[in-house]
Amino acid sequence: MPRSITEQIKLAKQENRMALMTHVVMGYPSLEDTRQRVLLMVQAGVDIIELQLPFSDPLADGPIITVANQTAVKNGVTIKQCMDLATELSSQVEIPLQWVGYYNTVFNYGIEKFIKDSRRAGIQAFTFPDLPIDEEPYEHFFELASLAGIPVIQLVSLITPVERLKEINKLAHSYIYCVARFGVTGTDSKMSDEIVSYLQKVRKYVTVPLAVGFGISQPQHIRDLRDSADVVVVGSALLNLSLPELKDQIQTLCAAL
Amino acid sequence: MSKELFFKTQYEPDENGHFGEFGGRYVPELLMPVLIELEQAYKKAIQDESFLADIKKVFKNFVGRPTPLHYANNLSDELGGARIYLKNEGQAHTGAHKINHCVGQALLAKRMGKKRIIAETGAGQHGIAAATVAAKFGFSCTVHMGAVDAKRQAPNVFWMQQLGAEVKIVEHGTKTLKDAVTSALQDWIGDPAESYYLLGSALGPHPYPMMVRDFQSIIGIEVSEQIQEYIGENKKPDYLVACVGGGSNAIGLFNAFLDDPEVHMIGVEAGGRDVTKPGEHATRLANNSKVGVIDGYKSYFLQDDQGNVESTHSISAGLDYAGIGPEHAYLHSVGRVEYTSVSDEEARAAFTKLSRSEGIIPALESAHAVAHALKLAPELSSDKNIVVNISGRGDKDLFIVNEKLNAKINN
Ligand SMILES: Cc1ncc(COP(=O)(O)O)c(C=O)c1O
Repeated sequence: MPRSITEQIKLAKQENRMALMTHVVMGYPSLEDTRQRVLLMVQAGVDIIELQLPFSDPLADGPIITVANQTAVKNGVTIKQCMDLATELSSQVEIPLQWVGYYNTVFNYGIEKFIKDSRRAGIQAFTFPDLPIDEEPYEHFFELASLAGIPVIQLVSLITPVERLKEINKLAHSYIYCVARFGVTGTDSKMSDEIVSYLQKVRKYVTVPLAVGFGISQPQHIRDLRDSADVVVVGSALLNLSLPELKDQIQTLCAAL
Repeated sequence: MSKELFFKTQYEPDENGHFGEFGGRYVPELLMPVLIELEQAYKKAIQDESFLADIKKVFKNFVGRPTPLHYANNLSDELGGARIYLKNEGQAHTGAHKINHCVGQALLAKRMGKKRIIAETGAGQHGIAAATVAAKFGFSCTVHMGAVDAKRQAPNVFWMQQLGAEVKIVEHGTKTLKDAVTSALQDWIGDPAESYYLLGSALGPHPYPMMVRDFQSIIGIEVSEQIQEYIGENKKPDYLVACVGGGSNAIGLFNAFLDDPEVHMIGVEAGGRDVTKPGEHATRLANNSKVGVIDGYKSYFLQDDQGNVESTHSISAGLDYAGIGPEHAYLHSVGRVEYTSVSDEEARAAFTKLSRSEGIIPALESAHAVAHALKLAPELSSDKNIVVNISGRGDKDLFIVNEKLNAKINN
């Protein structure tokens, strides 16, 4: 059974390191590949894995993840299949697995059924970047999920004003995800110069651990974040590696934590 | 007294941009502060009389407004029913109504101190209009366009480039409007401080549906004045008919009349080749598609059983889109506006009919509205009148119409 995210971050803390979160797109290039990839990531020492539910129009993602999503959609991957695979993986791993995706997937599946089935599949958290706090009074998704014991992860960005940071923090559970640069997910840009001062600003208003993502691909990126983040997130940079390359790369990244 | 731009109706959204259950701002956190800034800038601008004065000046001197409202006597006589009037947005500069919301948004972007305009385009009409206002008001401009659309609307790609815009061809997904929208949003997420996203229809996250509607409302305001010359002082039209892609030209015609219950309104969607087959049409409301949350707003979208956006088809690129503006979804749900569809075939026939009987070559999008009017007019008595929005002129469709007509001859 997977641990909760909070417990996992605590474990990393006890080992005096940041936690590493990685990412897969469910069903890209196939569900079987996703299964092997997740198990290999666990073996290689990852702390948390984001399982992305494929969606046709992933507007917060860059070209690499967009193509992966659209390929999985084209292959006919269903949310039910994703639930089944998550159930199987949860029975085999101890680290937390969480969903990331787009809100329409939940809305279409049925909010309550989605939460219930995810809970049964052992999912430890949800991240839906296109559901900002402002829509919660209309959707009640955070409320229903937290009643079922699944935290919804909040995101903040480089341009989130202080007042908004405080509001977002009120709804935060497990960790807050800081989008560490302008733009969508991808590997091409260098880490933003503003990042350290930004993270210091965020820390003042945030009472849960901080995860930093978007654009992290190198061990040096991770070392740069040592004093300011609790969790580092690596996504696009791993997506198209072969399984042996993936293992090497994760071990390299882990050594930098 | 006719209305002034920025008037309110009983169908306004709430403070978060929700029209009933539709609309809202379902966007990543990176865009929220930007959208809030935009909303505040817009609210401030419409309080400022000089903003309205600037818009009116540009509408008159640059766009060539008011566009004519013309009595289609030949067509009306031939059909033998209601009298048909044509609001000819094809005579606006750049050849379609799209210039209205481009002027409004460019003047707003100027006030906000932005440097670059980002736009998406399907047919290329909005891209041309965006590139035009960028040239006129001193912005650099990036237009995102799906590879399939760029191919079928090649002349518009050329003209956008002539106007100084960079055309970014989108090669992923279905390579049509929906991928262009996603790509444009991604571009904006990457450069929120310097750039202004100039959205091309009455859709997307709040405040766009409201803002685009407000700028387009000039169409209905003009009609309410112009129609009096034909039907008498203070008289209202009986029917308004407009095509609905995202919904900008239709809401632009309808808005000034929404609070007049005696005015019937009909939005015409693209029936494509077959409204019963997924991927063969773009009828969202007339065909009961599902409510979803896509591209930053909640509305009706053509989706598969997993909630993925379905591909669409229409002979007209401007109507070839899986979603529809949230105010239309709302007006549909409360029964204020009726939505129907016409097929590719009917639109093509109406295109030829209007050209021959009235000397007006409509855009294929607008030909959908004409096609419905051709069905409606004979059912009504001659004391009734119908205003049809000719949202654009047909020049851009030369190659499509020609190719299809040729194929037909060859068969
Ligand atoms: C001439 C014309 N009419 C109509 C449309 C459809 O858009 P909307 O529904 O926003 O008016 C377009 C879109 O490109 C267009 O070019």
